[in-house]
Amino acid sequence: MPQSKAGRVAFEPLLLGLRRIPELHGVARDGDSLRIGALVTMTELMESALVRAHCPILVEAADQFASDQVRNVATIGGNVCNASPAGDTLVPLLALDAEVELVAKPNGLLTGRRVPIGEFFKGPGKTLRARHEIVAALRVPIGVPGRFMRFFKLGSRPALDISAISIGVCARRDAGVLSEVRVAFGAVAPVPLRGRATEAALEGRQLTEAVIETAAAAARDEVHPIDDFRASAWYRREMVHNMLKKVLADAT
Amino acid sequence: MGKAETESLIGKRIPKMDAPDKASGKTRYIDDVNVPGQLIGRILRSSRVHARIKSIDTAAARALPGVHAVLTAADVPDQRAIGVSKDNLPFKGDVVRSLRDEIAAVAAETEEVAAAALKLIRVEYEDLPLLTDPLEALKPGATLIHPEREPVALKHPEALRPWYDPDNCQTGNIAMSFDYTQGDVARGEAESDAVVEDSFRLHYVTHCCMGVSGVIADFQSNGNLLLYSNTQVPFLHRREFAEVLGIDPGRIRIIQPPIGGGFGSKLDIYPFEPIAVFLARAARRPVKLIFTREEEFIASPTRQPVLIRLRSGVKKDGTLTFRSVTTLHDNGAYTSWGATTPFVMMQTFSSLYRVPHCDYHTVAVYTNNPYAGSFRGYGNLQATFAVEQHMDRLAEAIGMAPLALRLANAQNPGEVTPQGMHFKTCGLKECLSTVAERSGFEAKFRANRDNQRMPGTLKRGIGMASMLHVGGGAKIYPSDGCGTILKLDDFAHVTLITGASEIGQGSETVLSQLVCEELGLPMSSITVVNNDTDITPWDVGVHASRTTFIAGNSAIGAAKKAREKIFAAAAKKFDLPAEAFALRGGLLVRADTGETLIDLAKFLRSMHFSEKAELVMTSFYYEPPSHHQDKEFKGDVSAAYAWATQACEIELDTTSGMVKLLKVTGAHDVGRVLNRLGIEGQIEGGIVMGQGYALTEDLMVKDGRIRNPGFRDYKLVTAPEIPEMDISFIETMDGEGPQGAKGVGEAPAICMAAAVANAIANATGVRITELPFTPENVYRALAAARAQAGQRAA
Repeated sequence: MPQSKAGRVAFEPLLLGLRRIPELHGVARDGDSLRIGALVTMTELMESALVRAHCPILVEAADQFASDQVRNVATIGGNVCNASPAGDTLVPLLALDAEVELVAKPNGLLTGRRVPIGEFFKGPGKTLRARHEIVAALRVPIGVPGRFMRFFKLGSRPALDISAISIGVCARRDAGVLSEVRVAFGAVAPVPLRGRATEAALEGRQLTEAVIETAAAAARDEVHPIDDFRASAWYRREMVHNMLKKVLADAT
Repeated sequence: MGKAETESLIGKRIPKMDAPDKASGKTRYIDDVNVPGQLIGRILRSSRVHARIKSIDTAAARALPGVHAVLTAADVPDQRAIGVSKDNLPFKGDVVRSLRDEIAAVAAETEEVAAAALKLIRVEYEDLPLLTDPLEALKPGATLIHPEREPVALKHPEALRPWYDPDNCQTGNIAMSFDYTQGDVARGEAESDAVVEDSFRLHYVTHCCMGVSGVIADFQSNGNLLLYSNTQVPFLHRREFAEVLGIDPGRIRIIQPPIGGGFGSKLDIYPFEPIAVFLARAARRPVKLIFTREEEFIASPTRQPVLIRLRSGVKKDGTLTFRSVTTLHDNGAYTSWGATTPFVMMQTFSSLYRVPHCDYHTVAVYTNNPYAGSFRGYGNLQATFAVEQHMDRLAEAIGMAPLALRLANAQNPGEVTPQGMHFKTCGLKECLSTVAERSGFEAKFRANRDNQRMPGTLKRGIGMASMLHVGGGAKIYPSDGCGTILKLDDFAHVTLITGASEIGQGSETVLSQLVCEELGLPMSSITVVNNDTDITPWDVGVHASRTTFIAGNSAIGAAKKAREKIFAAAAKKFDLPAEAFALRGGLLVRADTGETLIDLAKFLRSMHFSEKAELVMTSFYYEPPSHHQDKEFKGDVSAAYAWATQACEIELDTTSGMVKLLKVTGAHDVGRVLNRLGIEGQIEGGIVMGQGYALTEDLMVKDGRIRNPGFRDYKLVTAPEIPEMDISFIETMDGEGPQGAKGVGEAPAICMAAAVANAIANATGVRITELPFTPENVYRALAAARAQAGQRAA
């Protein structure tokens, strides 16, 4: 609705209320993953014991999401479908290797499919979701306990801000060696971006100063931000470098 | 008797009288006012920045059911230009010069119909060359933005020298210029041991009043015009509306519903106001026209973007020698009061510190940008940003501490400056020393400086700045006065009818306090009427931090007259001289013994029902003892001057450029504290406004278009960023001020950007002369300084 009011999306005379569909609500454990209903709000994410236990990185992102008033109504499904490169929950979902659960009922028959989140985003505001589909849930694999997870958001003020850049890191840490490293960046490309080169620079390594510097340099090289009025491309690259160093320093 | 309070009200913490209504949602702002039969007015603004209008087709809009009037310039042949230079026609018929330009307007039954009608209006344009940089607008051969205007004759074309050859540039785009000289700058420069020169660039910010602009135009059956308006200068606007509409000012009545903030933005009239009147005239129905928030960002005024070139000198012993200033103001497409901010900037350049030789030349240049208006501080934030950074630069150049240099050149009480300002009271030195002591300035300054080159990415900085601003009105108009009427009823309830407008600054509370103090009554026995030109006596309006001082003196004058009448009647009744009485705690008492003679309410009743019940009203008009400036801008324009010093402590993250404001230590010469709660609120609010100017707020204008017309991307300071504040009041007890007070409305916002700039320099050794200090701008400046240092080392 806000996008339609702002003239960015055509007004649809037929609107469907999803709020009363129970399957779209709630966080539940489903085998070795967490199923987070698309209508779970930022506030609910922050308060969910399951989310807090298994993916605290989402709690961090929800905590830095807009304001209390917005957190009470904004849903994770809405944030994902909005597909803003700066969307706060998108970066952690990428770092968590989540899946998007889509459902449709084309001929009276309920069908569903799951799409890895890394494939879901196609451009600013554009996703793989077909016109007749809705996002029902996000599925997050439950990894080994005690992983390092961190979400970092940089804006020009501490509250109510849209990221100039954001960083999500998720990795196993065994005796100081990182493995299963996933790094994601927000607001540095047309879609939230997995940092494959950065991950490669970290995988199987001890976090020494030299490794951190190599990873940060790789990150600066692999992002491809644009100049816009929130930040220049140059500043975004610099911040990806400097802030990733800060995040990784916390992991040592 | 239930009125036991006998203590003085002065200096107490008194909650604002309008606070309960505002906090409980009872206040009815202009958007809540609905007049029977009203239509909704909306304006079609240009979609081009600079273009010739080839055609406007309103046929489809006119045909839309529910539309009562559609107007363009062609429909209002009698429209007249508004603004300080009368260069702004409400409806633009031939050329649009900025994105906010008004092309057409509709009055319709509902908001939805009005919006739909706007979409049906077709405008054909032919683009003209864009001029969005004042330096481009001065280039030889630049397009003239107002070819119809006579070019301004420059008295000192040399003023353009920093940027252009004065003999070979486009002076036709100059909207206004000012030239001021004291002493002989060349002599001052010859006497200097150190000279510094810098360029400073100040950006666009806007007021962000919580209440958006709006007006309701309602013609009465007798043809008189009733305007519900958010103006902060109702009496001047009444006259201006009359001129624009070609009607007798006596037939215009302005009612001000409670105003959701002004901060100077409501000093000018804007095209939307006459347009609402034209719509009401055409539709023969009242028309309500309220901005959307986006429209407020696009079509309300801004603070002046200014380019300042400043050259200053000092002797080895710390004596300032000269200051030479040129400023280039981006006027935008039309001229508003904002173009006259050099009046105020001049005072800071010439008189904040003692400087024997000073010249100041300035031009305001037309561009196709949004036009700037008046904004709290009126140029002083910009001037102080430059002057106070130079105080630090000069101190550094001669190896003196910044505090010592300031103290050595600070004004003293009794001083008459070369510009003719007479500082009858002046607390600048106390402000400086109080702030230095309470913030631990000198030790922190040295420690931070020593820490600049140490390892670590978090740097602390402390910086200070001072300010001078008018604090006793400003004699700009023929009169700088204000009238008061007091009505004392037969139950000793007082109605204070004042010309002074309440725009959220707390004037009605402080004026009530002053009256109750004179009459020995509690705050519960007073009501204020201050929003209707048919009722209230004349006042020049809310500007120049004048209301407490001017309207306060006027209110006191009326209260004293009332008291004299009471004492004269008491003298007869009690057979004592008039001097023998006093009013305390709602009682008439003997001044010497405090013995109660009679309840004031009872005595007033007896006066009411006596033969000559003339006590019902007293009126008093106060005109401050200030003077108009002469043609060289010299003269004692204010009855008093306000002073302040603020020190800002910051933490700067060199890896991101993020500046966190930790603490502000301020000392303000306010003459005297009248309402402690009110003045704290005023100062805290001003500090936060100054903080936004320094750190976060940035109205981004590119190619004449505003890129962030909303609160998502126009970043006001939010609660977690508000720093710790330590505010001291320096009470110099001004002889002319009401109970000794001076004006303080604008003062607290003025120093902040300069103090933060000095703190950044203290933290990093890098001086940034361009606002705002957003993380990217600071980071970029640090990177540039590192690159430069690297080059030097290589």
